[in-house]
Amino acid sequence: MNIKSLTGLAAVGVTLALALSACAGSAPGTATSGPAATSGGGSYILGTTDTVTALDPAGAYDFASWNLQYSMFQQLVVIPAGSDTEAPDAATSCAYDDAKTVTCKLQTGLKFSNGHELTSSDVKFSFERNLKINDPNGSSVLLGNISNGDAKAQALKDGAIETPDATTVVFHLNAADLTFIKVLTTATASIVDEEVFPADKLLADDQVVGSGPLALESYAKGDQAVFKANPNYTGDRKSQSDQVFVKYYKDSSPLRQAVENNEIDVAWRDLTPTDYVDIAGKGQLDVINGEGSSFRYWVFQFGTEVGKQQAIRQAAASLVDRAAIAKDSYDGTVTPAFSIVPPGFAGQKDSFKEVYGETPNVEGAKKLLADAGIATPVKITLGYTPTHYGPNAVDEANQLADQLKASGLFDPTIESAEWEQYQTLYKQNAYDLFILGWYPDFLDADNYLTPFLVDGGFFKNNYSNPEMNTLVEQQRGETDATKRAALIGQIQDLTAKDVPLIPSWNGKNVAVANKQTKGVKETLDPTYIFRLWAISKTA
Amino acid sequence: MSRGSLPRYILARIGLMIPMMLVLLTLVFLLLRVAPGDPITAAVGGKLDPVVIEARRESLGLNRPLIVQYLEYLWQVARFDFGQTISDNRPIIEIIRDNGGATLTLTIGAFLIALGIGIPLGLVAGRARDSVRDVVIRLFGVVTYAAPIFFVGLMMQMFVARPLGFPTSGIANPRTQFTVATKPITHILLIDAALQGNTQALGDILLHHVLPCLTLGLLICGVFIRLVRVNLLQTLQADYVEAARARGIHESRVVRKHAFRNALVPVVTVIGLQAAMLLGGAVLTEKTFNWPGLGTQLVHYISARDYIGVQGLVTFFAVIVVMISLVVDVINALIDPRVRYS
Repeated sequence: MNIKSLTGLAAVGVTLALALSACAGSAPGTATSGPAATSGGGSYILGTTDTVTALDPAGAYDFASWNLQYSMFQQLVVIPAGSDTEAPDAATSCAYDDAKTVTCKLQTGLKFSNGHELTSSDVKFSFERNLKINDPNGSSVLLGNISNGDAKAQALKDGAIETPDATTVVFHLNAADLTFIKVLTTATASIVDEEVFPADKLLADDQVVGSGPLALESYAKGDQAVFKANPNYTGDRKSQSDQVFVKYYKDSSPLRQAVENNEIDVAWRDLTPTDYVDIAGKGQLDVINGEGSSFRYWVFQFGTEVGKQQAIRQAAASLVDRAAIAKDSYDGTVTPAFSIVPPGFAGQKDSFKEVYGETPNVEGAKKLLADAGIATPVKITLGYTPTHYGPNAVDEANQLADQLKASGLFDPTIESAEWEQYQTLYKQNAYDLFILGWYPDFLDADNYLTPFLVDGGFFKNNYSNPEMNTLVEQQRGETDATKRAALIGQIQDLTAKDVPLIPSWNGKNVAVANKQTKGVKETLDPTYIFRLWAISKTA
Repeated sequence: MSRGSLPRYILARIGLMIPMMLVLLTLVFLLLRVAPGDPITAAVGGKLDPVVIEARRESLGLNRPLIVQYLEYLWQVARFDFGQTISDNRPIIEIIRDNGGATLTLTIGAFLIALGIGIPLGLVAGRARDSVRDVVIRLFGVVTYAAPIFFVGLMMQMFVARPLGFPTSGIANPRTQFTVATKPITHILLIDAALQGNTQALGDILLHHVLPCLTLGLLICGVFIRLVRVNLLQTLQADYVEAARARGIHESRVVRKHAFRNALVPVVTVIGLQAAMLLGGAVLTEKTFNWPGLGTQLVHYISARDYIGVQGLVTFFAVIVVMISLVVDVINALIDPRVRYS
């Protein structure tokens, strides 16, 4: 082969590339399923960086899996878009007979997408297998109030679920729990087909069958999921599209490229705050902000000399400039938080604002430390992880350290660790104050209280206050809404006084969509459920 | 079998593979256990109480003595049972089947691009030693070799994809992928589209291959440029080339027929070495372009601290590299019998 030949070969290659690029503008692929009777037609593509663990409701405890499960399965009750109260889905109603008994009446004529009938027996089977399988990645922990309480051989407690007839399900709870109906709205309470799902192990992802508005058509794990409208679904969540594609990205960078390049119609969870600002500035795509309920906070480790001193905790709480953090570290894409409970929940109050003010109060902090006889500057170690909450968490940690240092009352040191190691280190008292984040499992104020404030919380910060434990337990079982709200208010006040943690900000629920998609804004609510069935795309 | 016979040589190479694999498997096993965290804390550590986490670890057998886990792992590998991932319950074999095709077409495409760019440029540089062309080509080779893949990939996405309309991510448009993948024949999307006679899908898949293959191909083309250039310079000074010139053969024919062909022989050796580099590069390329290959899966399972997932995929990568090395060694032994005695 001489140089001329090689040059010719290169020319052919370049020509081929150019020819291919010429085709790039055309819409490739021809797949369309036949229009389903229940849908509004068309298809759209959602892109996300979320990672799905399992499509079987017994095998996942993460938003990505849950979001697909909400589309494929029915729960007894659901939270409609923009609402915080339950609405019927598979059940016509679910109500407390008393604080320990919940009765649900099923709709008649329910069917799974494979044509099998859905009855109360399927409901009982679904809860029973979820608890029995007790999958390491699963969320059966949310069903603790109907379990036998045996961590090693978990199962449904005898008599915990009764099915007196084909359309009635009665739950008998271990303890009074006003959050149980909220648990029934989560994907862990999805109803599965007892004729298809094994009783003691997970079903393979590509075989899952549900009765929700969408049915799985194909699934390539970590790559894409394709759904079609379920023709057997007759509820209020009717699919607005014939076909829905969910494309998974490993990183926010290719997700942004894809949405800006019109390869996908909607990008949701997660682009960076900088991306949102940039894209909004260009004006070609809609950056849609919905109300969120995610929560970022700084936890004091009571196991350290610094963390165990209330005056130090209160002084630090007085010095945090949340507005500056929201503006500088997150480009204004988050909202300053002054309570452990996000706005919108009954009983929510900005206790930290009431006690410490909205802006930093150096004089107040100085007095707190002086009254307690604590010499300044107080050496304090701040911990953060750069690998779990994104690069902006690094900015936040540095900014908080700057704020504490600028007061002259603290001498902060910041330390970081990779997420895995971080989780061990903060429990081992490596940091006086460390950052964590939270997405709710269900929309109830208790989901921000019990996991955080009872006996050190899930993060084991060694905070324990019997008064707090009592208040938290009381609000969980209180049937009177007004009294419960008052109890939740007291808990927030006590949190502001004890300062086991400092609320930092509440996140928004943000998506980027092209101008042809409809329904995105409506689904961006604090539940973080992306209602795949509610979105459509105009031609 | 006499010393220097080809069968004896091949058997010796295969024999060497076993300790090599054992060392690798042991390293992977130990490194994963030494690294902080485990699949449970990675998945639900930010949600659950430590007591519940501990119970889940125990149910997976992660609290058993390391030696027990290690021997069990070796026994599984010996039976070609790579197990099932902890974080999402996928059999490793299924991951290799579903995602291996994307990595295969990416690496083959990249390799062809590397050869297509590297060999002609090496030839041009070798013929025009110390000229401006030579300097520019050498510089190009160094830059492409040294530039981080994710950076090159990002530049491609920003400055090539958008102006020319190339897709920036994935192996195909989701609709194309759905059409082709629902009727899998080989589980290699490109080949399945061809076998299904779906030319539109084939065009779309090829189009999606252009930038990732180019990005990965550029990484290794620098090696070929340098290799071909140096070997051409050496062969052009060889006695038999001088003899050819003395016989009045035209210079272009001397280069093409005598020098160039001989200069290509060492490239065969390097191909084996490049296989490991190519697979390493594929991991980064796949992440940059959201390519649904094994590299992407490996990164995912590393993040999830999924011991079984990482062990299985690394073992598979290792087997592939070792097999390629073996094939290259055999080809070398066939081309040059002296290798068998070394």
